[in-house]
Amino acid sequence: MLESAFMTLMKFVIPLYLLAFIIYGIRAFKGPTIVDIILAVDCLSFDIAAFMAILAVYFKSVFLISGAIILALWAYLLDIYIAKHLVSKEVGV
Amino acid sequence: MSEILFYLGALMIVIGGICDLFGALGLLKFPNFYVRLHAATVGTIGGAVVPLFGVGFLALGADFLPHKYAIAGASFVTGIIVLLAAPAGAHALAYAAHKARIVKWQPKVDHLAEVREK
Repeated sequence: MLESAFMTLMKFVIPLYLLAFIIYGIRAFKGPTIVDIILAVDCLSFDIAAFMAILAVYFKSVFLISGAIILALWAYLLDIYIAKHLVSKEVGV
Repeated sequence: MSEILFYLGALMIVIGGICDLFGALGLLKFPNFYVRLHAATVGTIGGAVVPLFGVGFLALGADFLPHKYAIAGASFVTGIIVLLAAPAGAHALAYAAHKARIVKWQPKVDHLAEVREK
């Protein structure tokens, strides 16, 4: 009962997420400055993390969730490193 | 009780998908980096945090999942991580773009430049 309702929900939700991924990818490829590219990759990583959590319920698997946590942490690390490099022209302490 | 949690999670997942699509459209159509940060907030908080909490509620209410407590707990943890990390990262990126002067713009009010000139 609930499983069939979830499969019906997936038919509506998966095209929304895939369309959003394609539009973020367009902005990430044609961004005029480097901060636009980093912002688009950042949004793409957070949304792929959310989509992996949805796919973990879809495929009934636990292992996709650990990848989602690491993806969210990696996007924050990318932001901080690029900001540090733009401010002080070096990455380090 | 489990049906209420399941349908609450499904509603949050649908809201997250719609916010995600609108954030992506704003990130494509807005003219400036500082204006695009606004659409990026819609895309991360509304498009990633809300569906992650929704997956947590949906997995708690679902009766067909074999590892539902593991999926729900890890989804809540990922949602809290994104909720804390996304504004800090966007703020650091905006400060770096202002400091390195890589985005051309004509502001009405620029308090950060006024403070730095003193």
